[in-house]
Amino acid sequence: MNYIKYLLITSVLIVAVTGNSSAQSYKLPPYEKFKLKNGLTVYLMEQHEVPIINASVILPAGAIYDGEKSGLASLTATALKHGTKNFTKEKLDAELDFLGASINTFASKEAAGLSVRMAAKDKDKVLSLLKEILLEPGFDAGEFEKEKKRLLVSLEQQKESPRSVIGSYFDKFLYGEHVYGNLVQGKISTVTPLTTEDVKNFYTANYLPEGSAIALAGDFKITEMKALITNLFSGWKKGTKPQINLASQPIQKPAKQQVLLVNKDDAKETTFYIGAPGISRNNPDFIAIDVVNTLFGGRFTSMLNDELRVNTGLTYGAGSRFTTLKNGGSFFISTFTAGKTTEPAIDKALEVLDKLHKTGIDEKSLASAKNYVKGQFPPRYETAGQLAGLMTQMFWYNFDESFINNFEKNVDGLTVEKAKEIIAKYFPKDKLQFVLVGRSADIKKIAEKYGTVIETQIKEDVKKAF
Amino acid sequence: MKKIIVHAFLLFSISIQAQIKADDVKTFTLKNGMKFLVIEDNSIPNANMYLFYKVGSRNEYQGITGLSHFFEHMMFNGAKKYGPKQFDQIMEYNGGANNAYTTENVTVYTNWFPSSATEVIFDLEADRISSLSIDPKMVESERGVVISERSTGLENSPWNLLFQTANGIAFLEHPYHWPVIGYLDDMKNWKQTDLEKYFKTYYAPNNCVVVISGNVKFDDIKKLSEKYIEPIPAQPEPPRVNTIEPPQTGERRLTMQKDVATPYLGIGWHVPAAKHEDYYALTLLGDILTSGRSSRLYSSLVDKKQVATQIFTNFGESFDPTLFIIAGVTAKNINELDMEKAIYEELDKIKKEGVTENELQKVKNQKLMEFYGQVETINGKSNNIGTYEVFFGDYRKMFDAPAAFNKVTADDIKKVVTKYFTKSNRTVGVLKSNPEE
Repeated sequence: MNYIKYLLITSVLIVAVTGNSSAQSYKLPPYEKFKLKNGLTVYLMEQHEVPIINASVILPAGAIYDGEKSGLASLTATALKHGTKNFTKEKLDAELDFLGASINTFASKEAAGLSVRMAAKDKDKVLSLLKEILLEPGFDAGEFEKEKKRLLVSLEQQKESPRSVIGSYFDKFLYGEHVYGNLVQGKISTVTPLTTEDVKNFYTANYLPEGSAIALAGDFKITEMKALITNLFSGWKKGTKPQINLASQPIQKPAKQQVLLVNKDDAKETTFYIGAPGISRNNPDFIAIDVVNTLFGGRFTSMLNDELRVNTGLTYGAGSRFTTLKNGGSFFISTFTAGKTTEPAIDKALEVLDKLHKTGIDEKSLASAKNYVKGQFPPRYETAGQLAGLMTQMFWYNFDESFINNFEKNVDGLTVEKAKEIIAKYFPKDKLQFVLVGRSADIKKIAEKYGTVIETQIKEDVKKAF
Repeated sequence: MKKIIVHAFLLFSISIQAQIKADDVKTFTLKNGMKFLVIEDNSIPNANMYLFYKVGSRNEYQGITGLSHFFEHMMFNGAKKYGPKQFDQIMEYNGGANNAYTTENVTVYTNWFPSSATEVIFDLEADRISSLSIDPKMVESERGVVISERSTGLENSPWNLLFQTANGIAFLEHPYHWPVIGYLDDMKNWKQTDLEKYFKTYYAPNNCVVVISGNVKFDDIKKLSEKYIEPIPAQPEPPRVNTIEPPQTGERRLTMQKDVATPYLGIGWHVPAAKHEDYYALTLLGDILTSGRSSRLYSSLVDKKQVATQIFTNFGESFDPTLFIIAGVTAKNINELDMEKAIYEELDKIKKEGVTENELQKVKNQKLMEFYGQVETINGKSNNIGTYEVFFGDYRKMFDAPAAFNKVTADDIKKVVTKYFTKSNRTVGVLKSNPEE
């Protein structure tokens, strides 16, 4: 068992971004981008350091399309690996394992994805398996039932860990009825009735080439790979109905300050988020917000960690984060503390937020944050896997290499005055939304201090709305 | 960008390109005994510094348990030149970030920075290694931090509770008996003098190996080391850990209560330390059992019999004989004894029939892919090269590892299972909601 100095529970922004070495500018290696006739976008980048190829696929098939069937997007992504036209699940697993290759399938809030890693010499085999998984999944009913059983245990198990569930409660609380409140993994009551019919329907409606992209980075020749990918994926049929973007609905902002208290009878700690609406990924101030958040709660010496951990020893770690999606996002402070220090910890967190607004940031700390985001930037794009992931992010959020190549310049352009504006505009002051996971009997009175309290039980399913 | 070579992997048909080879690691040892390993790699404009101190919870005794880990925290709380908070503030101001971790065996400090900040990192490290100041006020607030760390670990994962308790039963005499984080009452009672003594004894340049990878030049590193680190005096060799755990002569079992969805099961068998020749066969056995969905235990317990929802093995590098752990979560409405039995059935199969050549080749292929992953980044290089230097006594062993894994035969796997995976050699831990059942 390892114990580490600092648990970075809140990595900076959800999309990998940050700065550039001040000594040497980091530029994105060249890549080629093209579209197949069916609308699938392809990115290719040669990287010859190790004889490995990574691929990343992104599809508009995330939990926002779940409807009433919460958890369906995630189970559909998982079920892609339950066998294909030519492979049973068992054969598929054996084939990939033998090659030391991996094809992981998953869904997030907005998108579904696949991430693939293979030895360069196995590219024909593994990419044709990828094609079968993506285009010709079998959705075996027996395998699906087994998967569902495991998921149901896992959903129950997550309730053992406040850290595993607090994010879902927070999203539901903040976004309300908007699809960004949807729970990615679903809940026991909605997962239980799901069938392979549901999965097939979801797949047919949402796994479509025209809104998707595949990116490959690694030890290959672009010309060869272009032919291979074109050959494998050109037969993927376009959808018959256009997909409706459910996330484009307006997000209701919270009208007042309120507290969601999630009771866990055996909790010894209180784990909490304090948050508010945030920004979408395409916000023009994205980089500036990242730099300011680095100072506020995005690194070890940040204002939050300094006060809640270093000065007071109230917690092992405290931080803040902007989670950005296409049409909106959230901001939250997160930390945890012993049940009996719940009140001082919350008060401290609020005090630090207040200080950010009142005192702002000075020249020296801004310089430090800029150097930090620039200095920590290049290792984020060091491997073929990271670069393949970056290219699908570029596709999904509609940005290009200028974001990477101009990053340093944009970081450097942030002034103290501008930082002040950023704080006033994007860091919340009021109508804060609190989620506390802890022992209600001990902390309910304290919770009432911060707003209207809505209490719920961790053992129950997350409610449809709070 | 550098290329990677695994020249020893003769069985693989992959055309092997160049290179990080053993000769690319350049080393020197300062007069005070601190050894440096340097890997020049200019693929990104960054570098790192990994410091491996040979001190961990195995160097503690009852009354000061958890002190190694606490000390790891205290190393960030001020020294002579740079006072409290300044280590982190200066590092971050210069674009660097850091972390650190403590295990039963070692305490490792990790710095990641733009290579332009290399000298600053030397200055910071030298200051705290030579003249840490242990401020009683910092001791008190940091004590709260590690108590919170202990608590949040227990709060968020039942595994912590199960494994630390099981270790206490599997090891009755050897210091792997207590948890790295420490006993709560010891944590509340560490004294200033304990800390001071610990620093003098273990934080000596001669008890540390440093690995630096990235956009640096060997000659510059050597000069900086001589300037900043060499003046720090060596200390007497730290006391040896003499306790050897006596052989276990009968199965040990424990049950504990926590409110969980389904029972958690962990089984540990005593196995040798990293330097033992069986290390490679045991490592491959771990992969044969639980790496990938076609692995023996996943396929049998999770997929076919459906007695478990998760299964994994844990066997890592250690200085002293350790445990090989198989652990998993029981499926709904399944008795954990049935899951336990299913694990033994799979082990018995290997004892009787061995493993197939195809299976062995599979895990060797996986090991090669894993190796590429480890040397793909500058951080992977430093971490692995340092680990081999410290646990295997020579960083060159990392480059020999592919060949050593390749040499393992199906018969070797059968032999280690027969030798170590006996009833008398195991400790079985169960954590469940209702142990009264």
